[in-house]
Amino acid sequence: MSFLRKLHPFLFPVSLLTWFGLLACTLLYAHPQLLPGTSPQPNWPMLVMQAVFTAAVFIHERSMPERLRGLDFVGLLRRLVLGPGLLATVCMGLHLLQQLIATTLPETRSVLFSVVYTANVGLFVVLLARTNYAWRSLVLFRASARLRQQWVWFEVLLGITLLIHLFARTPTWGFNTAIFGALAAFGAYLSSHQKWVAYLSRRQKIEAVLLQIAIILAMAAFTAYFLQTQHDPQLIAPPTQHTFLVLNAFFAGFYALMGLLITLFNLPTAGVFEQKREEILSLQRLTQLIQRGQTTEEVYRMFFDSAIQTVEADAAWLDIAVDGEPHLYHHMQPERAQAIRNLLADYNLSHIEYLNNDLFNSAGFRGLNLPFGSLIVMPLHSSKNQYGSIYMLKEHPQGFDRENLSILQTFASQTVLSIENLQLVQASMHTQRVQDELKIASAVQDSLIPKNLPIDNWFEISSHALAATEVGGDFYDFLHLPGRRLAVLIGDVSGKGVTAAFHVAQMKGIFHALMQENPLARNEREKFPVPSKFMAQANNALARCLEKAAFITASLYIIDYEHGGFVFARAGHCHTLYYHSIKEEVSYFRTAGLGLGIIRNDTYEKHIKNQFYDYNPSDVMVIYTDGIVEARNGAQEEYGEERLQQMLERTYYLDAEQIKEQILTDLTEFSKGQPMHDDQTLLVIKFKASQPEAGL
Amino acid sequence: MKITQHATESTLTLSLDGELDASSSVLLDTELSKPEILRNQKVLIDCRQLNYISSAGLGVFISHLQSFQDAGVKLVFFNMQEKVHNVFEILGLDSLMTIVPSEAEAEAI
Repeated sequence: MSFLRKLHPFLFPVSLLTWFGLLACTLLYAHPQLLPGTSPQPNWPMLVMQAVFTAAVFIHERSMPERLRGLDFVGLLRRLVLGPGLLATVCMGLHLLQQLIATTLPETRSVLFSVVYTANVGLFVVLLARTNYAWRSLVLFRASARLRQQWVWFEVLLGITLLIHLFARTPTWGFNTAIFGALAAFGAYLSSHQKWVAYLSRRQKIEAVLLQIAIILAMAAFTAYFLQTQHDPQLIAPPTQHTFLVLNAFFAGFYALMGLLITLFNLPTAGVFEQKREEILSLQRLTQLIQRGQTTEEVYRMFFDSAIQTVEADAAWLDIAVDGEPHLYHHMQPERAQAIRNLLADYNLSHIEYLNNDLFNSAGFRGLNLPFGSLIVMPLHSSKNQYGSIYMLKEHPQGFDRENLSILQTFASQTVLSIENLQLVQASMHTQRVQDELKIASAVQDSLIPKNLPIDNWFEISSHALAATEVGGDFYDFLHLPGRRLAVLIGDVSGKGVTAAFHVAQMKGIFHALMQENPLARNEREKFPVPSKFMAQANNALARCLEKAAFITASLYIIDYEHGGFVFARAGHCHTLYYHSIKEEVSYFRTAGLGLGIIRNDTYEKHIKNQFYDYNPSDVMVIYTDGIVEARNGAQEEYGEERLQQMLERTYYLDAEQIKEQILTDLTEFSKGQPMHDDQTLLVIKFKASQPEAGL
Repeated sequence: MKITQHATESTLTLSLDGELDASSSVLLDTELSKPEILRNQKVLIDCRQLNYISSAGLGVFISHLQSFQDAGVKLVFFNMQEKVHNVFEILGLDSLMTIVPSEAEAEAI
């Protein structure tokens, strides 16, 4: 094949040159007197020229780009008719011209005859090549590999007949007939492949019939010319490559004839095919609507229009069960539709498939005095949902058949599929948006976590926070107060997700608002609320906005490192773990205290207590949320307060950072392979020996 | 989570079996939200088989606490495991709710 492709640019000049060669040979052969002094020409140069010319033209046509564009069969035929039609006209024109000149200039008669004859042979070869390679496109349309192979054999065998006249100068009559018969049968067999006809619409079929008649006429014109000239005494040329040409002419004509007949016989059924095609196209359009992400309204509209068009209903309407979607009407008054709806409801026939082909003889319908004879009702529903029903009417009785019902079923199920797909797409878009918003919430929350821990030479602080979901319910914060004091807040909002995150932000706001210096304070102690007062005020602030089942646990510590002591209140939060360096003992501060939001009135203050403690250098305070102590291992055991206490007993002498790391390492080891259920927050504060301030 | 009910004339006993987490607390909330529950004099919660209670589970009891008090219905927990009791205690609920060791004591209240 690549060899033929390389050959392609040379084929046209070669065919042109060989045609002139053929012309020269013919003239020299028939009129040796034109070139005096030469002996009469033998046959073979002419036959060779003819063979090379024919081969060049055919191979040239063969390697042309595919003529069939998609399913444009009529276009292919139209272009084909344009070529041979033109050629036939030229052929006839030349013939007439020759006749005309011959009568005025009798002495040039026979030379002119030879020229025109050679020209027409050339034109005929071109016509055959064109036509047969156009037929190839049609034969091989959606063909199997087997048929493609058969076609190549057909070409090869035809090519061989081109050589017969060169090698076996005078083949026997019997041999000739056998070859001719066999190849003609092969051609006839190939002519039976006319799949393309099925793809034509009614209009296209009519056009195709006319075009094929035109092609046959063009062929006939040539045939008539050659039949006439064959017996002309002026023809002094050796026999042409007739086996090849006749076989090709036969195939070209036979295929056109077969196509013509098949198209003709298909004309009466064209309407049915067209309708089927229209149904398929409507289905396709419905399917494509989903992919283009259209609205449900457009899907309903498309279904309604397609159904009316396909079933050829005289009137129709579509009830849509979803609120807010308008009903669709086609040649139908809403009042009349309502009457039919009511009637069907009376008979308990709403929202089921229903076909009545004789409304004039149905008692209920006769009462409505409708101008319609047939009714079909098709509900739109999936296994879970009811989307509506389509009602179609025809004026004549017996207007619908089972076929219509099954088409409508297909349409309806496709429509339901489209609607549900659209809903899925919308749902997934919604989920995506929620996820995006969660990411934003997560980023906002992240910005609420203090990035810079307070630094002072009186203590060390180390912190760890890990949320189980995008947004968590744990929080902690620090605030420096005047007089070398530090407020530390830790807490946990019940529940997770965005609501919890919202309350976390709220808690932080409350913390910063309440920890402002009170300008009306009479003494130093009252400038800032003590932790129990803070909790009571926070509870009061939360009471109005926290949902009923939600609560918040928190602990607030105010460390006064000038006096070496701290005061704290625990509002339902985890107990504080503490290492007392003087006693060399680790224990929990087990104080009472109710969570925030559990009691939402003034009695809350009774349930919260302050705890004062004077710390010593090297004391360690471990503050955490329940995500730490409730972390589970494979056996579903909780990490627990006891284990945490043991960890501090082993690590109290280390830096705050190291203590935190050791605890986290132990916790990770403990809960290895288990999902994280809750947010985890851990703060370690280690008090250090007071150092005299510089300058004092 | 499994909730079994046992009702006498004036007392309703709910036995909780399993873990009271975010999803199972919805079940409990449905039970406690029924209007007829407030017609009892006492609602006893048997916590013998209650292995774990999450903040959502605590939230259910907290949210119904006020309506029980207003209707004069006593809410009493008994047979509570140490671990679960600890959770109630940390949150400070032991000062608001009646938690007794045994069923006999619960019925005596």
